[in-house]
Amino acid sequence: MQNRNAMDFLVIDQVSKSFGKLQVLAGCSLGVPRGTVLTLLGPSGCGKTTLLRSIAGFVQPDSGRVLVDGHDISGLAPNQRQVGYVFQNYALFPHLTVSDNVAYGLKVRRRPAAEIARRVAQALELVDLGSYGARHPAQLSGGQQQRVAIARALILEPSVLLLDEPFNALDARLRMTMQIELRKLIERVGITSIFVTHDQLEAMTLSDNVAVMRSGAIEQFGPPLDIYDRPQTPYVANFIGRANLIAGNSANGFFTGPQTVRSLVPDGVATLVVRPENIAIETGDGPGWAGTIAFATALGPTVEYEIDCGWGEPLRAVVARDFGRGTIPARTAVRAVIVDPQAAVVLSGARHDGH
Amino acid sequence: MVTETTALRPRNRWLHPLTSGGLAPALPAVLYLVVFMVLPIGTLLLFGFVNIERGRIVSDSFTLQPMIAALNDPLVGRLMWRSFWVAAVSTLLTLVLAYPVAYVYGELRGIWRTVVLVAIISPLLTSALVRAYAWLVILGGRRGIVNQALLSTGIIDEPLRLLNTDLAVLIGMTQIHLPFMILPLLAVLAERDKRLEEASLNLGASRTRTFFKVTVPMSMPAITAGLALVFAVSYTNFIVPQLLGGGSYSTLAVQVYEQTIVVLDWTRGAVLATLLLGTCFLFVFLIVSVGARLTRWTEARP
Amino acid sequence: MIRTRHSMAWIDRLGMAALVLVTAFALLLLVAPSLIVIAVSFEPRAYISFPPSGFTLRWYQTVLENRQLMDSVVVSLRTAALVMLICLLIGVPAAFASVRGRFPGKAALNAFLLSPQMMPGMVIGIASLFFGAYVAFRASNTMLVLSLSVFCLPFVIRITMARLAGLDARLDEASANLGAGALETFARVTFPQLAPALTAAAAFTFIEAFDNVTVALFTSDVRGRPLPVELYYLVQFDSSPVIAAISSLEIMLSFLVLLVIARTVGLDRLGR
Repeated sequence: MQNRNAMDFLVIDQVSKSFGKLQVLAGCSLGVPRGTVLTLLGPSGCGKTTLLRSIAGFVQPDSGRVLVDGHDISGLAPNQRQVGYVFQNYALFPHLTVSDNVAYGLKVRRRPAAEIARRVAQALELVDLGSYGARHPAQLSGGQQQRVAIARALILEPSVLLLDEPFNALDARLRMTMQIELRKLIERVGITSIFVTHDQLEAMTLSDNVAVMRSGAIEQFGPPLDIYDRPQTPYVANFIGRANLIAGNSANGFFTGPQTVRSLVPDGVATLVVRPENIAIETGDGPGWAGTIAFATALGPTVEYEIDCGWGEPLRAVVARDFGRGTIPARTAVRAVIVDPQAAVVLSGARHDGH
Repeated sequence: MVTETTALRPRNRWLHPLTSGGLAPALPAVLYLVVFMVLPIGTLLLFGFVNIERGRIVSDSFTLQPMIAALNDPLVGRLMWRSFWVAAVSTLLTLVLAYPVAYVYGELRGIWRTVVLVAIISPLLTSALVRAYAWLVILGGRRGIVNQALLSTGIIDEPLRLLNTDLAVLIGMTQIHLPFMILPLLAVLAERDKRLEEASLNLGASRTRTFFKVTVPMSMPAITAGLALVFAVSYTNFIVPQLLGGGSYSTLAVQVYEQTIVVLDWTRGAVLATLLLGTCFLFVFLIVSVGARLTRWTEARP
Repeated sequence: MIRTRHSMAWIDRLGMAALVLVTAFALLLLVAPSLIVIAVSFEPRAYISFPPSGFTLRWYQTVLENRQLMDSVVVSLRTAALVMLICLLIGVPAAFASVRGRFPGKAALNAFLLSPQMMPGMVIGIASLFFGAYVAFRASNTMLVLSLSVFCLPFVIRITMARLAGLDARLDEASANLGAGALETFARVTFPQLAPALTAAAAFTFIEAFDNVTVALFTSDVRGRPLPVELYYLVQFDSSPVIAAISSLEIMLSFLVLLVIARTVGLDRLGR
């Protein structure tokens, strides 16, 4: 698994951390190329926030290093690291005005007052809050507070920006807009960024690279669509998007089943990963898995079918709505056919390995 | 169409009278306080403005004279000043000592927290007398512990006069009221959002700067509450000044005691008590107002 | 590159040192007096000495044999018990009204119920004395109990309110839904959850009433003085370790109450 290369701007090298008996990070390694966005993706407890906090210095790893632009920053205190950090709840100082919040880092650096005023005005303009300087954080909405937090971090011109689930506190409507806004801002400023999120849709939208994490380690690393199209483990397949995991065997380069699917894994127990949108439903004789419609959900533009093939877990198919035919009724005998076998992935091992 | 009259309305029998949301359960307490607190305090205020003979009010004797006399009395002014500055200084000293304890408590875990809590709360559960007595033992004359230690090691030749001084009263007040300042701060500091301090560190501030620019300002409401509480109990404390200050040492609170119990001039006692209470409320009000001004950010709303 | 621990600026080192020093000093200041008093109580000679030159229990014996002191202990115990009872009886229901109440003026009621806290004990004491005189009622143990109950009422109300506010009222609804009547719900659901807090409130009120000087000095009877008042007069004359002995007994009592509170609501709740 090649998570990094020599040209990376930010490198995490075999970072491990335990809190008492609980191991939260187990030898994480990855690299972030300059100017790109990386998302650490995983469920609660997988260690993604701890990893982010290790980069910022709030957590001291037991072993491993963090390097920025070739420099090992592992030994530096959090106030020496010069990485921008946006907290999940923004951590704006409630007793200071918006301007004073944004100016905080500059005041620490003892910049002259005129320069501070100028740069604060610029920073607030950058996040579209130019006239809000005199207000207090409690007077702002969630989205506005987030923008202040970002301005406060960016005004110091850090080389890295870290964001801990920044959209968690926003309501769903606002989330989409803010994600795109933030992405544009980051591109405009050109800063290397790392997001932490449990929302895989967010990961797909925002990032150049995604690191899927599980139990303190990085399960898979790569561009979002790569991870979606070619998951390397059942866990990753299930975490990004939805997947049908079909048990079977790999023999002589093929997956055993009613359709021809090439397999690149050695002979033995194997799992076939097929995305629901890659399954079509046909009637009559032909290739595919035979079964009956167990459940149908009309979602508007698509229809989701659960097909009972007798294995216990149903196959899921998502098909575009057929305005002529309507929804296929339950208990209809159908065939689930893989539309594009090349888009299906064969993984070595059983379906629930490590779940 | 169902009409109201035919539908049955259930009676609220499933809720106990205590929990059903009514005012009734509080009535005994309210009545009790009216009879045994409001009326007595009213009497106290009244006694300052009437003539008292043998514990009974002489009828038709309402007069402002005792109050005016007290206000014009330079002794009263001096006593009030002493009460004020002793309370103010000891309150500030208490804050300086209490804040670090509350802060460190927030960083402790497990058994250490319990140890600190026991240290803080156990003095609270002993009587004011025991605590004042302890300082008598420590600061006393030749036999006092401090003097014994200093004499035996030869640092001094004559025992220091520690007792019966302003210093003794200050030390006693500060130590005795320390738990009152620590506990409110403890609650607030232990539950504070440490991410704000992380944010300050992330922005480059040192830990010391973070302490003074983020932690302390954010705990200002609790500080104000602590200051108000400790000032009030210090200002009205008569045990410590009496025992540690000695026979000739007096404060306004001590005078209230003496006039009422020793001299048995109840009118004067009532007048001084009224003054004591009135000025105490005034000072507390000032402290709270200044505190509120400093913490206007707590009231910000979107 | 050699990995170093977090390097700390000198100002942080200074700040940390100051913090630790002040904290240690403050904690020492808190406990040292009590410990010194206990140590001094074992001093064999007839005057205060620290560290004690020997070990003896004779002062404790003197205390136990002192009729006046023992009488005052009994008075204090009785008074504290009565005050505890009164405060529980009227304070606990009041707490219910404060927490579960849905009537206008609840905030005013709360403020009123907790208002005795704002009065110095001395004021409550003198006010009671004067009012007693006004209605021709002498200072007596009855007056002491009644005035101390005013002083201690807020303790019971606050502790009970804190616990009550933390209870989920929907549990009562669930109990009703499962068929329980009003009394049964209270007995099976509400009260058991409240019991530890009530124990803590009782213990705290007991010790505060036992220890109180400021109210008691004004409202107690000359003939049946509670212990702290007795000590108040004693301290001004006696300089032998007898007072240290009785103070030590009081300190030990306070630790007992501390234990009760710790085991019921926990010590950390006392600050709220």
